[in-house]
Order: sequence, then structure tokens, then C-alpha cells
Amino acid sequence: MSLAAFISDLDALAAEAATKFAAAADAAALEAARVEFLGAKSGRLKDAQKGLGTVGKDDKPAAGKKFNDVKAAIEAAFAEAQERAGAGGAKVAAGPPFDPTQPGLRPRLGHLHPLTQTIEELKDIMGRLGFTVAHGPEIEDERHNFEALNIPKAHPARDPLENFYLAVAGKVQGSGFGVQGSSSTSNTDPKNPELLLRSQTSTVQIRVMENQPPPVRIISLGRVYRPDTADATHYPMFHQIEGLLIDKHVTMADLKSTLRLFAGSYFGGEVHIRFRPSFFPFTEPSVEVDMQWNDRWIEMGGAGMVDPNVLRAVGYDPEEVSGFAFGLGVERVCARRHQVTDIREFYRNDVRFLEQF
Amino acid sequence: MLISYQWLNSLVPLSVGVDEFALRMMMAGFNHESTTAVGDDWCVDLEITSNRPDCLGHIGLAREAAVLFGAPLKLPAAAPKAGATKVETLTQVAVECPELCPRYTARVIRGVKVGPSPAWLQKRLATIGQPSVNNVVDITNYVLMETGQPLHAFDLAKLRGRKIIVREARSGEKFEAINHKSYALEPGMCVIADAERPVAIGGVMGGVDSEVSTATTEVLIESAAFDPLSIRTTARKLALRSDSSYRFERGVDVENADWVSRRCCELILETCGGEMAEGMIDVAAPRKPREPITLRAKSIKRIVGIDVPMPEVRRILAALGLEEVRGSEFGVTSNKSDNPEPGTLNPEQVTVTPPSWRRDLEREIDLIEEVARIHGYDKIPEDVGVPMARSARTDEDRVLAKVRHVLTACGFDEALTISVVDDGLSESFSPWTDAAPLALQMPILERADKLRRSLVPSLLKARRENEAAGNRTIELFETAKVYLPRAGQLPQEELMLALTSSGSRPSSFFYLKGVLEGILAALQPDARFEVRDAKHDLLTAGRACELLLAGEMVGVLGEVSPAGLKKLDLREPTIVAELKLAPLARAAVLVPRYVPTPAYPAMERDINLVVDEQVRWNDLAATVRACGDGLVESFDMKGEPYRDEKRLGPGKKSLLVTLQLRSPQRTLTNVEADDLRTRVVEACAKSHGATLRA
Repeated sequence: MSLAAFISDLDALAAEAATKFAAAADAAALEAARVEFLGAKSGRLKDAQKGLGTVGKDDKPAAGKKFNDVKAAIEAAFAEAQERAGAGGAKVAAGPPFDPTQPGLRPRLGHLHPLTQTIEELKDIMGRLGFTVAHGPEIEDERHNFEALNIPKAHPARDPLENFYLAVAGKVQGSGFGVQGSSSTSNTDPKNPELLLRSQTSTVQIRVMENQPPPVRIISLGRVYRPDTADATHYPMFHQIEGLLIDKHVTMADLKSTLRLFAGSYFGGEVHIRFRPSFFPFTEPSVEVDMQWNDRWIEMGGAGMVDPNVLRAVGYDPEEVSGFAFGLGVERVCARRHQVTDIREFYRNDVRFLEQF
Repeated sequence: MLISYQWLNSLVPLSVGVDEFALRMMMAGFNHESTTAVGDDWCVDLEITSNRPDCLGHIGLAREAAVLFGAPLKLPAAAPKAGATKVETLTQVAVECPELCPRYTARVIRGVKVGPSPAWLQKRLATIGQPSVNNVVDITNYVLMETGQPLHAFDLAKLRGRKIIVREARSGEKFEAINHKSYALEPGMCVIADAERPVAIGGVMGGVDSEVSTATTEVLIESAAFDPLSIRTTARKLALRSDSSYRFERGVDVENADWVSRRCCELILETCGGEMAEGMIDVAAPRKPREPITLRAKSIKRIVGIDVPMPEVRRILAALGLEEVRGSEFGVTSNKSDNPEPGTLNPEQVTVTPPSWRRDLEREIDLIEEVARIHGYDKIPEDVGVPMARSARTDEDRVLAKVRHVLTACGFDEALTISVVDDGLSESFSPWTDAAPLALQMPILERADKLRRSLVPSLLKARRENEAAGNRTIELFETAKVYLPRAGQLPQEELMLALTSSGSRPSSFFYLKGVLEGILAALQPDARFEVRDAKHDLLTAGRACELLLAGEMVGVLGEVSPAGLKKLDLREPTIVAELKLAPLARAAVLVPRYVPTPAYPAMERDINLVVDEQVRWNDLAATVRACGDGLVESFDMKGEPYRDEKRLGPGKKSLLVTLQLRSPQRTLTNVEADDLRTRVVEACAKSHGATLRA
């Protein structure tokens, strides 16, 4: 057989196969066409291969190449037709079975501490209500932690056993008699003031007001320290978030309304606010705040109108401006929201705990 | 404060049930703790805030209830009948320390018959959990719980010299109290002594030697006032707290000492018989009269936000015991042109004198609170329009948000650890200062009393606890302050980021370094850390470094050494790092500026360089950049260095690096890229003895 004839036969075969494959109406017809052209024993391509032995020796490479090209073309035409007919149309599968139920390769994501998440959300809400975040030092002097907050020297809140005072080299530790001036808390040397870990974030309010004329609209937050024995509801370190608004014409109605917006934004839905009279040195009147949520009264925190003595201590005129302050314990808010029954969990840092939030 | 509801009703007849009473009291500032049935009576526990010592007795709470429910307050007469003998002939009182004891009063009753208390008295005391001792002692307790003024009854016959001397305790003085415990007294404590020895710790507890017993026939009734601070300090030092000290610490009504003394004597005469001596010994420092306070109607509105009608204001103040000052100066209108009728009440303001038992009322704001509290906080609206105001997120918050974002994406969990650590943790690692840590006067938890100088030890402690819990993946970070002592100044509080990550893979160190680089890239895209070798006891020598930004040391990174792991009781290797956040925040690009994306494609060339182990990447990279004609966009290492003594020779490592080349002006040709690659290879060969790997 001449090379030209061999090539023209093959071309004809390829064209016919392509037509038949394309015309196959269903899987059975396609399979029949496959057997006709690509059948391993007596397919027509197999027959055509026999012609390869009959071409001249010099033409063999060209003929072989042509044969391979045509074979590839016919196989490609079949594959295309098979794909068109749908996966169910043929049992020829590429590679081993694919199991999509295998677990996904999940990147490990970290988790923010639930207290951080709570703080961020509270900050966010207060930000929308126009309050800007302010920070201050955790190690404080007595002026900012007590005096400017209307907590005089003799006040029980200043007792060395009620606070974490810093030890000062050369100073005798202890609690003498204040009336006799021999107490470790009676140090009034302005160059070497008595220092302590702040017991409330109200210290930040004082620092802001000292440096800024009214109006003031801030929230201060962070770590505070009180000598409580650690148990399910106490820890000697905790987080406070406090709001302060000072301006002309600020009233308890503004306080109530602000707290209602705040609580409603955080907990969602209709919330009502109730004030119970209370006592804090730095506010007058002072109130405990409850909110009614899902028909229950829940304690929120303490609040009140900034005491005129505090306003005076930072150089404001209490006849000119007034203001409110409120404070919440972040641990309590967070524990309630996530039903954490022991606040010590927050400081154990067990990964299995952290991963839940 | 435990109260008997029947007792209270004997002082103010209420027509409401105990639950409504408790609720109204709670809404007036007396938090309701519990109500318990005791026989046919109720014991109600109300919390009394520290500013209201006047309510540490039934009368004080009855007065509040009278105001709230509009019921009359009925006080006992307190009018005991006196005999002919004058009290001064029976005893003497000297007060040597008026600053510790501003008032001391004494009455004497002779011929009492001490025995069991009558049933009504025992029942009332039992309702509020007070045990019965004998009739005289029970009456002093009863009057204490009625008035809030502590009393003490001495057996006069047992007072040596039949006299009372109020003085400071002497050094080394011993005293046996009625609880049969012995106390060592010291100066600063106020004692009640007879001619020879202390017979009571003033305001805290009486003595066993002079207590009233069945053999007693003459009693001296003490009704006094003591300095609150001194009482508090004494009670704490002796770890001896009593119903008396609790009240004196908060301050009693000095003026009321006489009335309370009479009330006590009246009940003793009724119950135990005897004859009261005429008169009362009263040693008292002069007392200033209370200053009148003016309350303006507009101030109420200004602070509370609502108007309270002035007649209501006057009713509340009067019912609370404040007396209106009438006269041209105060009560009547000061507007002269109006020329009002004398006695007309000023509609704009009211001037009042507070009663002696309300030391907490000194200023207009105090009266505003009283009026608002009784009028009812429920009348304050909760839907007024608070003006809007601008508020911006602080830069610190923005920076922290970015840092947290990178870290959670990298699989780190955030820990929160306590700021104070024990000595062992404090000493284990302190990369920022050599100064001794600040210490607290008392530990915050267990032995923790040192303010931390690094967060890393705390995180490693958390790591250990996680290991103990069997947790496999422990990737932790914390952002918090450390406290760095500074001579002559407030300590420096520096915000830090610390991390602990698994150290079990060969690339662990570089993984954590990459995380730190990621944080830097998120904040300052163009900045790079400089790296300097560092040495720390906790870290493996040669596997620790300091990170610098613009020449400033801002971070430390290293592998915890086997000895460090052992010391901190850690099982698995770990890499730790600590980064100062302030320098990162200072130059943070919080508002990135648009840079046009490159117009021309990049070309990549891989090079496999073999260099001596001593050759450092930083030096190699500098060489490459220097010869790049500004066309080297990046120069990175692919994978870990490869080491094989047989194929590379001893002391050699092979680094597979990728050169990314790009020109801002045109598309680079293959020839240019190959050229540059050749130059890079030659420069590395020249400067670092690098060869191409065969």
C-alpha cells in the first residue's frame, strides 16, 4: 500500500468515526460506535493498523506518525462525545474514586479572648453613642485613685488591706493609726507619692478632665485590682468599663436614656432602666442600675451624677457644668452573656475554653 | 442590718405587707437581701450603705418608712424617773483623749435585779438573731438595735476607784474581753479604764472583769462617741469586730447620746427595777452647730432632669428631720420688690438645717439626692434625646485590631494573664530592664507580689497549664502592659505583645519570626526588622535575637532552652517572642496611600547557591540588592537551607533563592533577566564565596 493511500484511508476513518461519535444518541449507541472504531480485537482502527506493515520501508516513520495522530484524534473525539453524554454514560473513570466526604483541610484560626470580644463590643456601642476611648496608667497615685474622686484620707476605701499598695524600699509596711499620722498611707510627700494598683478606672476620668475643658465624653476601661479572694464570682484583677459625660445641662434623665440605649444595643430589643439609690464617694446622687430584659430585672452596675467635689478637684465649676458617670464590670457582663459560671475560667487560658468564643 | 418587722411596726405602724415594705425600702436605697419568717414575725435583711449609719437601728429605718409610706413615727418617751442621789456622788469620769472619744456620758442605776429577760425582749432579740444574756445586757443590745447607738453596762462595784478614765492604751497593756480572749493593746487604741486597768476597749468590746452578772446590783450605763478611724484601726488590728465597732466606724449621732442613755435607763428601770441617780455625767468636746443648707428648685431640675414641686420638696425634707430655717435671710423670698408677707414660703428655694443624725447631709447636692430618692427615681424619663457627638476610634485601638487580626488568622488564641507574678516567674525572663521588679505590699494571689517586667513568663505558665490539661495545640498571645521601674519617676507602663508557639519543627523559630514580620507588615508595610544576636538565660544560646526598628530595640525572639523548659516545668519545646507595641504603633500606616500597581510583568529566576554555614542571609540579601540596578523586586528563600556533607562538602549549606525582577519602565527580556542573574551569582561568589550548586 502506498503512503498516500494509507493516509487517505486513515483520514476517511477519522472523519467517519467523528461523525458516528457525534451522532450517537445515547450511551448504548456511543458504546457501539466505540467498539466499531476503537474495539481492541476487531475495531476498525485495529484493522487500519495492519496496513502499516504494507507501506514501504522508507515511508514507515511518516506512516507511523500519521497512525498515532489519527488514533489520538479518534480517542479525543470519543472522549468528547462521552463527556457530552454525561458521566453516567460510560464506565471509564480517570484515576481512583474521589471521596468528597473526607474532612476539609481547615486552617487553624485563633480566637480572641471572650473578655476582649466583650470589651470591643461595648466600646463599639459606646463609640456609636459618641463616647471616645481614654486610657490611663494602672499604677496610680493616691490623688487620682482617691483624693480627686472625693475619697478622703480617713475613708475605709483607702485602707491598705483594701488596696494593692506598692511596697517602697525602706518604708515599714503596716497600717498604723491615721489619727496619729504614723500610717503608711499618710505619706503626703508630693515628690514620692504613695502608689497603688488602681482600684477603679475612674482614675482615667480624672486624668482626662485635668487635661481638657468640658465637654467631656469618654469611656475608660482596663484592668483594675482589689484584694478579693478568688472564687466563682471574684478575682483580684478584673476589667472595668466606665463612661463619663460632662457638659452643660447633663441630668439623670440623660444618664438613664444613655444607659437604656447602651443596654438595648448590647442585649437587643426593648430594655428598661431602673435606678436604685446607692452610695459612691465620687457621685451624688449615686444609683445602682438595673435593666429589665426578658421581663427580669438584672443588675447592670453603678452610676450617678459626678460629685461637685470631683468637678472642683479638676478645676471645673459645678455651677456651670454637670455630668454623669457609670461603670460596669466586664467579667460579669461577659459571664452572663456566655453563661460562664466561674469567672476564674477567664484567667486559666485553657485553649479548650478560649476556642469556644 | 437585720430588722424585726413587728419591732419596726411598733415604731411606725405600716399597713403594707413585708414584701411591699422590702421593695419600697430597696427602691429608696436599702438593698433588700432577704426576708425570713421567725415565729409570727419577719426578719428582714436590708443593706445599709456606709453613708447611712443612722439606719443601723430600727428607729432610723422606721423614719425612712414613715417618709415613704406617709405613716407617723412613734418614738418612745425615754423619760426615766430619777432618784434623789446625784450621779456625781456615785462615780467620776475623766476623758484624757478627747480626739479619740469626743463624748462620754454615764448614768448610774442602783439596786437592779439581774436575771433572765422578759419574753417580749427575748423574742425581739431572737428574731434578729441576738442571743439573750441577762436583762441588763439584753437591754443595752436592744437599745443598740433600736437606735444604732452602742451602749455598755458596767458593774459599777467592780470599777476600781468607782471611776471611769478614758485614755489611750499603754504599750504592753493586756486586756481580757467578754469573749474571754486576751488582747495586747497599744497606743492609739482608746480604752475605758478604771483607776487601775482597762475595763473595756472603747467602742469595741467590754471586759470580762466588769461585766454585768447576776451578782450585780449597781450598773453604770455608758453612751459615748468614738473616733471612727481609730475604732476601725483598733478593730482590725485586734481582729475583733462587734456590732458596736461596726457602728462607731461609720459614725454615731453624738447629740443623741443623752436620749439613748435615757431610753436604756427607762427600760432597765421597767425591767430590772432599781433607782436611777439624778443627772448624767457628760464629758464632751464642744460641737459646732450644723450649717443651714439652701436647696434651689432649679438645681433639682438641673441635676435630676425633672421638676419636683416645692411643696413636695418641703414635705420630704421635713419628714426626714430637716428643719426649715424661717426668716428674712432664708425661708422667705429674697426678692425685695415683692415685699412678701412674713412667713411666705419661697417658691424658688428652701433653706434647712439637717438633723444631728444625718452627718452625710452637708451640701445642696446631698439634699437633691434626698429629694430625688424619696420622690422616686422611677419618675425620671428614660427616653430624652441625648445630643450626638463625634467620637473617633483611637489609633491604639486601630493598631491593636490589626495585630489581633493577624494573630487570629495565624492561629493564635488570646490569653489574659494576671499582671502580678511570683518571684520565680519574675526572675525567669526580663529582656527590658535589669532593675528589680516593683513589688506589692501583699501578694495578689498565692505568692504573686511582683509587677511583671515581661509577659512571656505568664504565657509560659499558661502553656504549662495547657500541657497539663493535655491540650496539643498551644499557640498563645497576649497584649498587656509590663511595669518597668524608673528611678525617681512613676514606673513606665509599656504595652507589649507576647507570644508562645510550638517549637517542635525545625522551622518553628522562623515561623514565629514570620508572624512577627506579618504584624509589622500589617502596620508598617515598608519597614523591616533588623536582627541582632541576643543572650537570655531562658533562651537557647545562639537561637535568640533582638529585633530592632530604626535602631530601637523593639522585640526579642528565641527558643526556650532545655534548662528553661525544665525550670518552668514545660514538656514540649516552644519559641517565644515579645514585642513593644508603641514603636510599631508610632509609625503605623493606618491610612495606606494608593500606589499604582506595576504596569509591566515580573520575571523570576531561581538560583541554588552553596555557601559556608557562616554566611548570613542578611548579608547575602544586601549584596543582591546592591547589584540589582533597582530591578530586584524581591529576593526570597524557598524552603529551608539544605545540608548534605557528602554532596555539598562539610560546613556548607545550599540555599534555593528566588529572584523576582521587574522594571517600572518596560517588560524585561529574557536576556536581561539572565544577565542580572549572572551578575547576582558573580557578586555572591565574590563577596560570600558562593557557588552554584551542581
